[in-house]
Amino acid sequence: MAETYTIRYQAENTYEHPVIEATWQFLIVPEENETQTGVEIRFENSAGAPWELSTNGFGFAALRVRNRYALQQIRFEASFRLTKTPVNPFDFQGQPPPLFDPETLGELPFRIAFATFLKETPLTCLPKDAEAFCLQPGAGLLENLQALNTWVYQTLQYTPGVTHVGTTLKEILDMRKGVCQDFSHLFIGIARRYGVPARYVSGYLHQGRGFFGDAQMHAWAEAWLPGLGWVGFDPTNNLLAATDHIKVAHGRDYEDCAPIKGILFGPGSNESRHAVEVQSQQ
Amino acid sequence: MAAKTKNIFTDYDRNPKLFDEIYNQQGKVTKVYRKLLKLYGKHSINDYYDLNSRAKASFYNQGITFRVYGDDKTNEKIFPFDLFPRIIGAEEWDHIEKGVIQRCKALNAFLWDLYHEQHILKEGIVPVDLITSSANYLDQMKGLDPPGGIYNHISGTDLIRHTDGHFYVLEDNIRCPSGVSYVLSNRTALKRALFGVFNHYNAHTVTNYAENLLDLLETVKPHGVDAPTTVVLTPGMYNSAFYEHSYLAKTMGVELVEGRDLFVENDFVYMKTIHGPEKVDVIYRRIDDLFMDPLEFRKDSALGVPGLFAAYRKGNVTIANAPGTGVADDKAVYTYMPEIIRYYLGEDPILRNVPTYHCSRPEELEYVLEHVRELVIKPVDEAGGYGISIGNTLSDAEVETVRNTVKEHPRKYVAQPIMSLSVHPTYIEETQSFEQRHVDLRTFTVLGPDREFVLKGGLTRVALRRGNLVVNSSQGGGSKDTWVLKKDDDHAG
Repeated sequence: MAETYTIRYQAENTYEHPVIEATWQFLIVPEENETQTGVEIRFENSAGAPWELSTNGFGFAALRVRNRYALQQIRFEASFRLTKTPVNPFDFQGQPPPLFDPETLGELPFRIAFATFLKETPLTCLPKDAEAFCLQPGAGLLENLQALNTWVYQTLQYTPGVTHVGTTLKEILDMRKGVCQDFSHLFIGIARRYGVPARYVSGYLHQGRGFFGDAQMHAWAEAWLPGLGWVGFDPTNNLLAATDHIKVAHGRDYEDCAPIKGILFGPGSNESRHAVEVQSQQ
Repeated sequence: MAAKTKNIFTDYDRNPKLFDEIYNQQGKVTKVYRKLLKLYGKHSINDYYDLNSRAKASFYNQGITFRVYGDDKTNEKIFPFDLFPRIIGAEEWDHIEKGVIQRCKALNAFLWDLYHEQHILKEGIVPVDLITSSANYLDQMKGLDPPGGIYNHISGTDLIRHTDGHFYVLEDNIRCPSGVSYVLSNRTALKRALFGVFNHYNAHTVTNYAENLLDLLETVKPHGVDAPTTVVLTPGMYNSAFYEHSYLAKTMGVELVEGRDLFVENDFVYMKTIHGPEKVDVIYRRIDDLFMDPLEFRKDSALGVPGLFAAYRKGNVTIANAPGTGVADDKAVYTYMPEIIRYYLGEDPILRNVPTYHCSRPEELEYVLEHVRELVIKPVDEAGGYGISIGNTLSDAEVETVRNTVKEHPRKYVAQPIMSLSVHPTYIEETQSFEQRHVDLRTFTVLGPDREFVLKGGLTRVALRRGNLVVNSSQGGGSKDTWVLKKDDDHAG
């Protein structure tokens, strides 16, 4: 049954020196798609700077703000409403579930069609000698990826503050710790190693159900299964991404999905704080 | 003084193994140069020395300079200019012109395909990994239609003439090819110094470049714009080609802007002026893809305009050359050019390609590793002559280093046989005489949906060090004015 979600996103940026003509871009608007409809947007900022709804390079909705007057602090507050229809990730629509078949995945038209989500990026590059989960040929692809999801969940310990947005898979595997983006990058890196197209997803997770990563923006992964399409995997919580995951954007890795980007020039440090709240009503 | 009366070519030391553009194998003067030599023959080398000094001073005074990266930031150099012009006959030029247009059209079709249906990859003619592993392939460009369907509005095609007398394409430059301003200032300098000589030939003008470029840029304006506002976007005065950026803006009569002079609002681009914001429709950008928009590409770029790519995506501004063209002038892609031309145009290539070995292919890698001394090894993604190793100039230790580097990153390198560039008599200050120096030729092509224009001239670059084969200005090269003769020029005299 469809649920209505209300999401609040807050960010507060503080700068050591006054900034002028800065541009901020927020990739925080829930995507309109088959299961997410009727997205409503409210957005405001403490500087009263005008904002616009634009897109990022991959066509996802982006909110952009440019200030005309010097400021040392700015607060942004967004709220969204949308209706979400639950998805059943096991609905194969009468098709036999696909097997993990390296040969089919290696076919040229397939590799070309999914090239964007098959290539290594600096954040999803798996060290050559890394001991990592191995997909089993002949077994179901969904089962394989679920096992991978569980392996990532068990291998890494959810630990905020030890990694940053540029942490590589090598560092993550050495530490065996990280947050949702690290879990997702590891899942993606391994899936791509086996020729399974995988992409990074940024979004929100329904709160109050005891999941990891619900007070911030969340991240998970989507993998392409022949006959099924893109299926969401949340390795941070060892779940398939279904009803409780509200998608904002996808990309090759975190870089394409950074929720906030601030472009400003000048000396001095800055500090940024974020908070997220997600509520639902049936 | 004996020198006073000595003819300027008396001491010209001609190496018969090299292809001299002026003297054939038998030592006879090539047809197009006969009149020139007759005219020059009336002068002594001392006259020439005076002329050369004056021309040099004029370059300094006009501020026609360039910068070399890695040097001190304040180090501006003049682009050494040689007063002995290169002449290309009408027929020969016709062949070159047809050849470069063919390449530019094929490259444009290739780029359209790479960012749309990707037929050439699906048919396995160009390997998919070559494209997807290229840092210059912009996934963001997939499915976007650049205005007029044009990606490489401006191309700089580098040609050389090998010992066999044939022209070969060495490189296609379709990101931000530079050098055209030197063509124009070389012509000005030459006419100023040697008008009497220039006037004896019926050569094509080169001063029509800017008007052709501006016309083209206006034909690819965004949909719905009547009288477009065009700007030249420069990274700023520390860029090696800043002189050119300002020159082109000035001659086209448009504003020269830096990223900070522009801003984006509601997906339209505006320029800050003293009269308030003015909408910008066409940007001739001379900054690299990854520095264009810090929100979309490198976020540390202070050169770009936040939101520019979103405006481009919406079709509200034209960017020339289009973002993502760099994938097609990759040196590894170069080697597929004959196939690319046949595939899209159904024609045989008019200009020759230098045979190339891909270090990414195991059997070719093996050949390269065994024959380093006979090859030029080039990184696939560096411009400006950086990182090139010429096998026969290396010490044993250097050969070993090259081998190891290539073995470690085979995808990053290609190798080509050492092509012997043709030579041209060039005035050398140290010896105060003419000596043979290797030259190449950069041509400039402007491509639009309904037009193509090749500048009838080009930049003849000279490797000033004896025996040196690298002609880039950043590697200590000079240049010559290049005359393309009109069909009716009676140059046989």
